[in-house]
Amino acid sequence: MTAVGKNWIWFVAIMALVLALGAYLGNSRRADLGKSFDYSLDEYRVVDPALMGYAEEEPLVPSITNITSLAIAEDGTIHVGGENAVQTLPDLHTIALEATPTSLALDADRVLFVGLRDHVLEIAKDGTRKAWDSPGEKTYLSSIAADDWYVYVADAGNRRIWRHSKLKDGPPLEIGEKDWANDVRGFYIPSPMFDLAISRTDGSFWAVNPGYHALENYRPDGMPLSTWEASGMTIDGFSGCCNPSHFALLPDGAFVTAEKGLPRVKVHNVDGSLRCVVAAPNQFDDTVKGLDVAVGADGTIFVLDPNRNQVRVFKEIQ
Amino acid sequence: MKPTENKRRRDFTRGALALLVGGAALSAARSRSPKLVWQIDPEQCSRCGRCATHCVLAPSAVKCFHSYSICGYCDLCGGYLRPDAKGRNTGAENQLCPTAAIKRTFIENPYYQYTIEEDLCVGCGICVEGCSVFGNGSMYLQVKHDLCVNCNECAIARACPSDAFKRIPASEAYLLKSDQEKRIG
Ligand code: SF4
Ligand code: SF4
Ligand code: SF4
Repeated sequence: MTAVGKNWIWFVAIMALVLALGAYLGNSRRADLGKSFDYSLDEYRVVDPALMGYAEEEPLVPSITNITSLAIAEDGTIHVGGENAVQTLPDLHTIALEATPTSLALDADRVLFVGLRDHVLEIAKDGTRKAWDSPGEKTYLSSIAADDWYVYVADAGNRRIWRHSKLKDGPPLEIGEKDWANDVRGFYIPSPMFDLAISRTDGSFWAVNPGYHALENYRPDGMPLSTWEASGMTIDGFSGCCNPSHFALLPDGAFVTAEKGLPRVKVHNVDGSLRCVVAAPNQFDDTVKGLDVAVGADGTIFVLDPNRNQVRVFKEIQ
Repeated sequence: MKPTENKRRRDFTRGALALLVGGAALSAARSRSPKLVWQIDPEQCSRCGRCATHCVLAPSAVKCFHSYSICGYCDLCGGYLRPDAKGRNTGAENQLCPTAAIKRTFIENPYYQYTIEEDLCVGCGICVEGCSVFGNGSMYLQVKHDLCVNCNECAIARACPSDAFKRIPASEAYLLKSDQEKRIG
């Protein structure tokens, strides 16, 4: 080999070394910041199989998109709110709306109450519609529940529950104002997740106080009855700063709770202790938020999964 | 002078003139085009941690920003507390930020305010991850322009796996999450 050829080989080799060193420094300089810079929720995503009390069945798939809210009629018909519509499942009958619902409820007469962010739209069985007055500017109606006497509307924006009498005998009753003198701490709602449900037995209602990780029981006149709370990432608690994001009541009064952040669905006994897990975090996308839940008369649990645009079905393992 | 020499001289003069005019037009266009700076699109950032490790500056020119208008002022702040925190207090063992750059201040029961001490922040994005997963996503990363040396090719932008680095006009150098944000460095 000539001297010129040898010089070329040296030149190419040195250049390759310089480039490789540059790439290495560029990619790995201070790359390892140390263990304290790790952030992992992996240990909380694993659920002891012995705690799994429900098995998943085939999901129901609506044809509307952007699904947000779930309600079940007394006859078992499932109603799903989504992109500018409410749809019944499994027959896919669609009721068109001018906006996407933020909440949904049905009463025993099959009157549909649709939360359209700042006001309620009432749709009677014959299709006649009536828009209610909005409670105010900041209103965000995150949940509705109705019995024979009242329609309760949870307003996450104003941190209030509005109780509307079906007799239409006056303005709605405002529930949730802070009253430290009587030990009423008010609702603490960091993000628009504020769910409520009417007890199946005594006409009282339950509401989530998400900033406290609490479920609170109230008389229809707004007087507090009882409360329980459970904070923590471990399976028996509620994680993050505003959970449970949604809940529903089982026929025996137990709570079906759904969380965001660490998405999981569980059953808590009436005293708040954990009964079992319905769906573990690894059954959802990490980013899923808004797992609305509903319970059928036979105890079947329905979970609205906005990421998959499905209503997922869970039956108790016998 | 031969006619061919004459033509060559004419061509040269024309070429030089075109170069001069072109150059002047280019520099005029340049001085008119806005100065661009690097910035992170918070919606695209996946909190990979490279903002802390790949900046040419140490510590990084990337810092955590906090939007008070989006924050829930939570007692149990996912950006402040470690997932396995035993208590909701300022104990070092409970704090998620490895450099203790986040200050927790009691406002009124049950609200707390969280402020970022910029000098201590290294832009690792762990708090941003915690706040996005469990909170309202009010914490996010931005390139601080009083620190950034505006490299021609930002070393973080080259390494960013989410294509979150953008070139934006220096006149509006931040991609803030909320218009109501007061804290602009
Ligand atoms: S490198 Fe990109 S994705 Fe990673 S933290 Fe920085 S901006 Fe976010
Ligand atoms: S956790 Fe990281 S990004 Fe957040 S304040 Fe601390 S050093 Fe800055
Ligand atoms: S442009 Fe340079 S100094 Fe600025 S953030 Fe990127 S690497 Fe750091």
